[in-house]
Amino acid sequence: MSAPKRTNPRTESLKRLVSCLLASLVVALMWGPQEGSFGNFWFGITQSIFKPRVLVFLALGVVLFLVISFWPKVVPYLTRPGVGPLVSGGVTVLAAQTLMHWGDGIGDSKFGTVATAVSNTPGIAPLTKAFFGWLCWVMLAVIFVLAALAIVRGIKVLAWVAAGLSLVAAVIAYVAHHSVVTYAHLLDHSLGVYVEIIGYLVIITAAVVTALSSAEMAEGRVAVNRVLGWRPGLPLVVLGLVVGLLAFASATWFSPQNFNATMSDTHERFRGTGLAPLAVQYLIWLGWTLFAVTTLVGAAAAYLRNRVLGWVAAAGGAISVVLTLITIYDFSKLAGQLHVDSATGPWQNLGAGGWMACGAFFLIGAGGFIAATAHGSVREALARAADSDVVASGRAASTQFLSAPGAMRSGIMLAIAVALFYPPTATGFWQSVLVSEIGIYVLLAIGLNVVVGWAGLLDLGFIAFYAIGSYTTAYLVGSLPIKPPSWLHMSPLLAIPFAVAICLLAGLALGAPTLRLRGDYLAIVTLGFGEIIRIVAVNADGVTNGSRGPDTQVPHPVIHLGPIHITWGLNQLQYWYLLLVFVVIVLLAFRRLENSRIGRAWAAIREDEVAAQATGINTFQIKLLAFAIGASTSGLAGVFFASQVGFFNPDNFVLNNSILVVAYVVFGGMGSLPGAMAGAALLTWLPEFLKDQVPAADRQMWIGAVVLAMMIFRPGGLLPARRRAIELRGFDGAGSQPRAVPASEGM
Amino acid sequence: MSTVTESMSAAKSPGADDLVFEVQHVTLRFGGVTSLNDVSLQMRREEILAVIGPNGAGKTSLFNSLTGVYSPQEGTILCRARRASAPVSVIGKKTHVVNRLGVARTFQNIRLFPALTALENVKVGVETRQRSGPVSAMLGLPRQRREERESTRRAYELLHRVGLENRANDIAGSLAYGEQRRLEIARALGTGPGVILLDEPAAGTNPVEKRELATLIKSINVEDGVSVLLIEHDMKLVMSIADRIVVLNFGEKIAEGTPEQIQRNPAVIAAYLGSSADEAEQDVLSQPELHRIDTALSLDELTGQQIARAEQADTTVDQADLGDGGEKA
Repeated sequence: MSAPKRTNPRTESLKRLVSCLLASLVVALMWGPQEGSFGNFWFGITQSIFKPRVLVFLALGVVLFLVISFWPKVVPYLTRPGVGPLVSGGVTVLAAQTLMHWGDGIGDSKFGTVATAVSNTPGIAPLTKAFFGWLCWVMLAVIFVLAALAIVRGIKVLAWVAAGLSLVAAVIAYVAHHSVVTYAHLLDHSLGVYVEIIGYLVIITAAVVTALSSAEMAEGRVAVNRVLGWRPGLPLVVLGLVVGLLAFASATWFSPQNFNATMSDTHERFRGTGLAPLAVQYLIWLGWTLFAVTTLVGAAAAYLRNRVLGWVAAAGGAISVVLTLITIYDFSKLAGQLHVDSATGPWQNLGAGGWMACGAFFLIGAGGFIAATAHGSVREALARAADSDVVASGRAASTQFLSAPGAMRSGIMLAIAVALFYPPTATGFWQSVLVSEIGIYVLLAIGLNVVVGWAGLLDLGFIAFYAIGSYTTAYLVGSLPIKPPSWLHMSPLLAIPFAVAICLLAGLALGAPTLRLRGDYLAIVTLGFGEIIRIVAVNADGVTNGSRGPDTQVPHPVIHLGPIHITWGLNQLQYWYLLLVFVVIVLLAFRRLENSRIGRAWAAIREDEVAAQATGINTFQIKLLAFAIGASTSGLAGVFFASQVGFFNPDNFVLNNSILVVAYVVFGGMGSLPGAMAGAALLTWLPEFLKDQVPAADRQMWIGAVVLAMMIFRPGGLLPARRRAIELRGFDGAGSQPRAVPASEGM
Repeated sequence: MSTVTESMSAAKSPGADDLVFEVQHVTLRFGGVTSLNDVSLQMRREEILAVIGPNGAGKTSLFNSLTGVYSPQEGTILCRARRASAPVSVIGKKTHVVNRLGVARTFQNIRLFPALTALENVKVGVETRQRSGPVSAMLGLPRQRREERESTRRAYELLHRVGLENRANDIAGSLAYGEQRRLEIARALGTGPGVILLDEPAAGTNPVEKRELATLIKSINVEDGVSVLLIEHDMKLVMSIADRIVVLNFGEKIAEGTPEQIQRNPAVIAAYLGSSADEAEQDVLSQPELHRIDTALSLDELTGQQIARAEQADTTVDQADLGDGGEKA
């Protein structure tokens, strides 16, 4: 440091301390509602200040000061092997002990509540009491400090000690939780203890890595990629094995609220009730046998890299999924007929077990599929790794995320498995969040990603197209005061092409006059457009029924196609699968678009509009195209939304929602399809998750904190696009771009 | 290649009906600053015409006027980039329209799409001549696939042409400076031009690269039959490949002719050495060996210091007018 101005280090750090304390005071003030009352204007502020809480914040300020002051000394250690797993493991354990549920049926079933209950219960085992009282925190702190010391000082013994202690801690946590459950006879489905155990396992990994590696630099990604790429498809088979074992041995298959029946219990319950023979056989032996056979074949296919076995495993997995579905359909239908647990029809009262089994079979089949098809890509990947140019460009293939052969497709398969088989096990609340928040915003984010991410145009009125799609649907199904001619009256799903076309036209109409503007100006005009649409919807009483929204319900979707009859009702799960179909279709189309001449033209315009023009790209036309395609996607979302909720009003289309969609795209990684989806999913999930965790008034602050942290630590977004990442990060490293001619010399 | 040589020799003889560019009395002003003042020049088909002049002489302004970036206030620019096409006025046309007429260009400070790969950069150029739209792209229709294959093949050809075939999948921004220059030429060639405008293609390249570049430009000109308009400060390069040279100074054309004529032109020497033409002529007469332009050195090196002040006016205008272009560069 060769600062030209000499400053007294003591004054500097004093200044820093004061500003940290001031900042913590400000946060303390922000914490909680600040409204004054009639009698006392300062009510809110005095409430914040004269409370022990303010001391906590001042302490946090001091911690912040220490972190800032000593950060340069910490930084060199951050690249040591084991740091990443240690931090993530510690955070996982911490989250388990603060946010997760530890015993269903004890108050709000969170860790704190369970701990209070345990301390108030005299007859419980002392170890359990100690764990819930103080031991859990002390263990975490001791293990973390030991592991950190081992990393910083390079003391291998300490690392082994930390690993051993972690194992002990995990066992203690399991025992403590188990004793609480057995003591209180709980019907427990909580996951806190499992998350805690996973956290400790990650810490053990960190400690072992620390103890075994002699390198100064972490090579975690290389190692992970090596494991993932060793036998393509094998990771999925192993994952399927674990999930399947849990499903068949211990998970609840039937009546989670009452009987809590595992697979064999379910067989006992339905003995002699006239259950279809296939389901009976499945529950007795067929399920296990299928599981064993597919796992063996899948593992063999992956290990031996045998194409034929891979296809066999894939087919076996698919057949097993179908058989599992038939089985759970059969017995849940029978339970509906017998009115067990007041069930009325099939698919009710199912536990997670059957769905987990489906997921396991799906994963095993997917593993076989990847093993069958990965041969070419192995060779390609090896060739790529050997390509010195890739290494020369500063990013060896092996350090890139999911760059191992088959890893990317494994990730996609895993996502599909979760999307297909997780939602049925979720509670009704989460199912509705999944559909009306996560799913719809994912679709909107995919659409906006075309405009913001690919073409690089900031559109702050995107929700207007969503509104246009919704109102078009409402018009076509006859729910608005102004009725369509009888030949145009149709069911919601048939309205899709019309709504998409109208939104496309709206996109063109907005884009044509405004796309000559750039940057901020375009953003402001689109923002105005969004508000105009909403205000028109509020005020055009005769057309839109004003602020009340459509006056009769928009009917739910139906499909009557020859022998296929599907009617959507109030079950959110049905909408989820409909939405999934929409999202998958849009994704497939957009992925092609991204790698076509249109997608490349968008990238070119975004990077250098002048050069793009000089290369012969009609920039106006191509930008207009992005606008229209983005708009038509949100038209699709509008159709879905209108027919799912039935009733809506202009308040669903406020400016705030437009800004949120932009935030989702930016948060996830502009220009990356998986990024936009992940961003939308995470940021729509987080507020719902926080409902349970923090006071309502604080929710936005926490979300803001997450977004801020993201912008600081991953400015490219959660899963940045390759092209965008390069734009942000530079090429070989900062400042290496050669410039013989000063930039000021123009073109 | 005898036909090519014949047509070349035919092209070299002046024929008013086979002019690629016919620039007449063009004046370009930015507020009070006159960037081009009554410039007239003719570019013949399949010749290599070099435009030289001190920094700030208006060379790049001329390029920008020819490609539709600037619209000169006075004068006419007729373009017949492709053989057997009708002459079209360039003034007032959009840049991409001019490009579609067959006028491709490179930039003085390289303007690639740095986050795309080298191959993708060239493909962007090739694909501006394709027609498959978004729907066929989304559905993956056969025509789109065919065009995609076609553009990849053509892009590889062009990369091979400029010697970058084994850098095809590298990020353009990570290429070395000289490679970026050549990639820009490949991208320009991808649009299938009749005339290519090269703005200082040799700036910042080493002597070996310069020699390769000269060969490349020559081959583009001879084998592809593409006319080349060249701005270059490297006199050795200019003198070795240019058929004719136009000299600009302070926005005015001060000389035009073959390399030999230009080397001995007193006005040119005066422009580069900063004295009046009369003095220069006398100097040349008294000590010819002293003030003859040393073709081994670039004029930049000879006169860089002196011109620094003169260029100020022009560059500030460039920046102001280009708006976002300037800030991206």
